[in-house]
Amino acid sequence: MKPALIIAAGEWRFWLRSKLGVAALILGFVLITTSLVANSARVGAERASRDSLQTAAEETFRNQPDRHPHRMVHYGHYVFRAPAPLAVVDPGVDPYTGTVMFLEGHHQNSATFAPAFSGARAGALARLTPAMAYQLLVPLVLIVIGFASMAREREGGTDRQLLTAGVAPHDIWLGKVIALLGVSAALLFPLVLAASQALFAGESFVVTTTFIVGYAVYLTVWALMIAAVSTSTRQLSTSLMALMVLWLALCLMVPPVVASFARMASPMPSKIEADLEVAVALREQGDGHNANDPAFNRLRANLLEQYGVHHVEDLPINFRGVVAEAAEADLTDTMNTFAEKKLAGEVAQARVQHWLSLLSPQLAVRHFSMTLASTDLAQHHRFTREAEAARFSFVQGLNRVHAEQMTYTDDINRSRDKGAEQRTRVSAENWRVLDEFRFAPAPASDRLAGSSLFLLVLLLWAAGFAALGRARALALTEAAHA
Amino acid sequence: MSSMAIEATDLCVERGQARVLSDVTFSVAKGDVFALLGGNGAGKSTTLLTFLGFLAPASGEAKVLGQDVQADKKFVHQQSAYLPEAANLYPHLTARENLDYFLALAGVSQTPEDIEAALDHVSLREDARGQRLETYSKGMRQKVAIALAILRKAPILFLDEPTSGLDPVAIDEFNALISKLAESGTTVLMVTHDVYGACQVARRVGLLRRGQLVGLFEAPEGGRISPDEVHQAFAKEHQQ
Repeated sequence: MKPALIIAAGEWRFWLRSKLGVAALILGFVLITTSLVANSARVGAERASRDSLQTAAEETFRNQPDRHPHRMVHYGHYVFRAPAPLAVVDPGVDPYTGTVMFLEGHHQNSATFAPAFSGARAGALARLTPAMAYQLLVPLVLIVIGFASMAREREGGTDRQLLTAGVAPHDIWLGKVIALLGVSAALLFPLVLAASQALFAGESFVVTTTFIVGYAVYLTVWALMIAAVSTSTRQLSTSLMALMVLWLALCLMVPPVVASFARMASPMPSKIEADLEVAVALREQGDGHNANDPAFNRLRANLLEQYGVHHVEDLPINFRGVVAEAAEADLTDTMNTFAEKKLAGEVAQARVQHWLSLLSPQLAVRHFSMTLASTDLAQHHRFTREAEAARFSFVQGLNRVHAEQMTYTDDINRSRDKGAEQRTRVSAENWRVLDEFRFAPAPASDRLAGSSLFLLVLLLWAAGFAALGRARALALTEAAHA
Repeated sequence: MSSMAIEATDLCVERGQARVLSDVTFSVAKGDVFALLGGNGAGKSTTLLTFLGFLAPASGEAKVLGQDVQADKKFVHQQSAYLPEAANLYPHLTARENLDYFLALAGVSQTPEDIEAALDHVSLREDARGQRLETYSKGMRQKVAIALAILRKAPILFLDEPTSGLDPVAIDEFNALISKLAESGTTVLMVTHDVYGACQVARRVGLLRRGQLVGLFEAPEGGRISPDEVHQAFAKEHQQ
């Protein structure tokens, strides 16, 4: 057997005989398994619940009785964002952004029902996701298991014994790295099982495999970092202290600092300011409920000219429906402009964070994981855009019915004339304008392309620590005299 | 190839800004035991570490079996066994497991019977062989380290204060072991404070003082070096 493998096997024997090593391994497995089982059950239940609620919402809308189409515009409809298959590992921003959107005429509502709010009430650990366990806690487990790997040899003087047995310094280091990679692989096993579950739920094979590989590279970064630091220190306490400081900095300090920096680098107006700005812009537009609003004079004139009549009552279509359709189009155009501006601001902040993921492997793997799992901010944006497209489509479909299936005279008299009120009730068959809404993960190719930068960052971190660890190992011969 | 197993020629070593070995010259013939005596800071361990390749000479040469140590450390490590003062072995492993582990790393293939024979050779109690070294006394750990050197069949043995902290019985046992190894052709370079122990096993004794070799004693044919003579010289140098 190669010396590095013998050393790796020796390291495993030490861990299995030391209470600390076994305890840390068991703790790691318990944390991961608990979070996976809990999250998998929760995501499964949410997926089933949202699917059935989506179907129920569509049936409820379509089963409404005959009525005036504009009442259906305000009756509205719900769309739900079903979790992606890999959300069993990484729910990403889903718990914080809201998963349900109420669609109605004249309004673009925000997504609501963010599960994190109910989770927060249930206690902080309610949100211990497998992704969080792998990104934050598994490195800690690796540190507890591996901080002593080289420092123990140096403190106990066995490094000299190894060197004088003819073992090359880089083989000692490599053996320690292999041993830590073995721990990483063992701890990665539950993730492989969870990702396989996602595969059976319809996730792409390439995405699933890349997802596992990304986490493997992330844990490799930590294994190499631990071996490098342990090789660079003479005492166990120094090694542990240095690694804890690194963990605190890379996992707990850098991410919020980067988020704050992104907010400063790309500031956005507060919600109140943004809403006020939209309200001011909308006030300048005509009221779609009032066909006599001067804002629609030109529309009226054009229609009268087009049909060669002098009064809106003589038009072959209902002018109020036409106004509703035109007003909704203008209003949507304005709201979309502000919505896109807001999304662009969030994208700018996210982009700053993406580039600053160079500063921390934890940031890199977090973005990598959410991008591949289709649970990142971009997917939330896609959800809001798809929901808005669905909203605009059914509202305009109903406005078209409003314009084509009743007369203007009946429409304006329906509150005074019972006969007119009956005639402005259109068939419930018209509620089939509502399309089915099913939010699916982004295409695999998009997610793979989006995550490649983060995988590259992780590989750079791994290469850096590999080079450092090897260089420190080669200096072992010189250092062994001290 | 040189008939000398170990050679130091005008060896100068610096640690930091300080020169800790100055123009040290000595040689050890194959199968000889050479002891370097000296007080604290005399340069004994530095000499040993230089032969092990852990320190590079500022000038001069350190050779093992005719090979410059700095030019081929791997060769030196393959040809030698090192026994530090604390017999650095793994406390969580048994004697047998320690031997198995280090022999595998050294690329030496030995049967369980060979290992038992080596442990017999160093007189390690049979009932202790399956126990972890964390329960061992220092003398017992030294025996395991010697067994390792025997099993590796290393022609050179470097010993750093090997009897420090051992009880008199253990010291006698240890010295007897070293003599046996030398008789079987192993070359030994040991550094020690123990004048009487050194004279008991070594054919030649060097006296180091502040990095310089200030005395060299050789046993007469068929006899031993007089410990009193060495002790007097040691004391005289220590007073200066």
